[in-house]
Amino acid sequence: MKIMRAGETMEPIIHLNGVSMIYGGNGTRATALSGVSFDVRPGEYAVITGESGAGKSTLLAILGGLQIPSEGTVRIHGVDLSALPSDGLADFRRETIGFVFQAYHLLPYLTARENVMVPMSPERVSPGEKVERADSLLAAVGLDGKEDRLPSQLSGGESQRVAIARALVHDPPVLLADEPTGNLDSATGEQILDLFSGLNGRGKTVLMVTHNPANLARATRSIRLRDGRVEEDRILAPLAV
Amino acid sequence: MNIRKLAWKNLLRRKSRAVFTGLGIFLGIATFVAISSITSQMEGAVQDQLDRFGANIVVSPRAERLSLGFGDIALGGTEVAHSRLAIADKERIASIHHKDRIRSVVPFILAASDVSGKNLVWMGLPSTDLAIARPWWKITGSPVRERGEVLLGAEAAAMLDKGPGGTVTAGNRLYRVAGVLHPTGEKEDGMVIADIGDVQSLAKNPGAVTYFEVAALCKDCPVEDIVAQIGQALPGARVSAIRQVVESRKAAVDQLRRLGFGVSSIVLLIGGLMVLVTVMGGVQERTREIGVLRAVGFRTRSIFSLLFWETGWVSLLSSLLGAATGIAAAYLVAPSFGIEHPGIRMLPALLGTAAGLVLGLLGAVPPARRAAALSPTEAIRTL
Repeated sequence: MKIMRAGETMEPIIHLNGVSMIYGGNGTRATALSGVSFDVRPGEYAVITGESGAGKSTLLAILGGLQIPSEGTVRIHGVDLSALPSDGLADFRRETIGFVFQAYHLLPYLTARENVMVPMSPERVSPGEKVERADSLLAAVGLDGKEDRLPSQLSGGESQRVAIARALVHDPPVLLADEPTGNLDSATGEQILDLFSGLNGRGKTVLMVTHNPANLARATRSIRLRDGRVEEDRILAPLAV
Repeated sequence: MNIRKLAWKNLLRRKSRAVFTGLGIFLGIATFVAISSITSQMEGAVQDQLDRFGANIVVSPRAERLSLGFGDIALGGTEVAHSRLAIADKERIASIHHKDRIRSVVPFILAASDVSGKNLVWMGLPSTDLAIARPWWKITGSPVRERGEVLLGAEAAAMLDKGPGGTVTAGNRLYRVAGVLHPTGEKEDGMVIADIGDVQSLAKNPGAVTYFEVAALCKDCPVEDIVAQIGQALPGARVSAIRQVVESRKAAVDQLRRLGFGVSSIVLLIGGLMVLVTVMGGVQERTREIGVLRAVGFRTRSIFSLLFWETGWVSLLSSLLGAATGIAAAYLVAPSFGIEHPGIRMLPALLGTAAGLVLGLLGAVPPARRAAALSPTEAIRTL
């Protein structure tokens, strides 16, 4: 195993160059991001922090191909997102990005297993294969035996685990998490963070937006935003490759 | 899990919305099927009644009018028949190519003769055909059942001062008055109606026929064809369709059809608007959910597909239910519309189900387009 030191080169999986995001038109312009540039290498666990309104969520939306920046370029896994049409972005999200939301966003009328299978719904994969993949992912996040429960029958932590399993269903190289422990008590939050650490340990690149400085403990990198700009970009731990 | 199942699960979750969405289609299709079914049956019933009403083709001897005059002085004219009709011609009429469309061929003979001292016109027809030829006649007493009996028109009865059970004499023979016709406003009021054999005897012209009345069953009636075929069978005869009857049949049926189509169209349009409004409301309500689906990689087509499956399920079920209700309603109310033998018409039900499905899917197009155009970020908000 080679230990990467700060400043050492490695092909980035995420490349942002001069990314700006401006909302509104004349008279009501609001700058959410301004000239943000940084690279993220495969296997990094980056925590994005900042005050409310600093541009964290906008940055995550741009990284996930949910929004196209007003200026600048975003390349993820070698793909220039601004060059992709709407359906191309959807394909990109499905194959490259796993989203985990603060509010889980599970579909309340589907069981845990069915929620995990949702991203596979449009695919021509046999039902048996879908079930097998969903069950193995649920087992991997510690929900063995709870596959048939509805979100209303699951705790917050369990719901977030289902959301993580759903994010992993296409085995994406990048996980984007928006305050994944924001709605959880500290003990459950720790378990979720352990899960992210484990996934990072298995090679997933993790970018996590958070208010909670405690989340920094597991990260390899901290990016702090302030007023839409990168105020601080710090390597917290060497990157194992 | 696939999109079809996802759509179905969502419908089950939002049952009341699904019911409301389907209600418009259900009512529209039920109305459409009921009206179409009734209209269709009424067409048949009207046709049947009109067919029973009487003849629609008259066969008479071809005649030519000769004008008589001397120089510029007109002396009137006379009709000269080229040939005569005989009772045997009935078989020739009944053996044309479209013979299966002919309901009845009734020979008539008209003759003037003295009746108990009054000179009246006699109308002779087979006594067994009286009910077929003149089903609308109302009679005090009984109709002519056999030779030796007569039926008096209302005016003739008054003139002769005779009623049912009385007797009249003609040609040295006594005839029993079987009944008296209620006033019809037609020439029959002044006539004496008897069996054709009796009138032929009175006229001393056995086997003679003045004209035939032909009743063709005219649902999708090729009247012109029947007229032409009878003309070929009887070259010396003039065969004419009673155009007025044919046209009035068509007009009555067309009016019924137009009424049904108009009412159904309005109800279906309202149903379609209800689908549009409720599905649009559903999209609004599920903005975040659609955002999540977009975030996990659903393409525009997948969102379209999801909403179309949802609306498709609702439309199909409510159309089927509407069609069944429409058929049942049509069956139950048919007697109120003068349909004596209500039946089940499958074509309106099939058309209605297809129309409901298409209408539901069309109503889902604008909301589906809106849903597919939703920005995932704006939809989720929390990102």
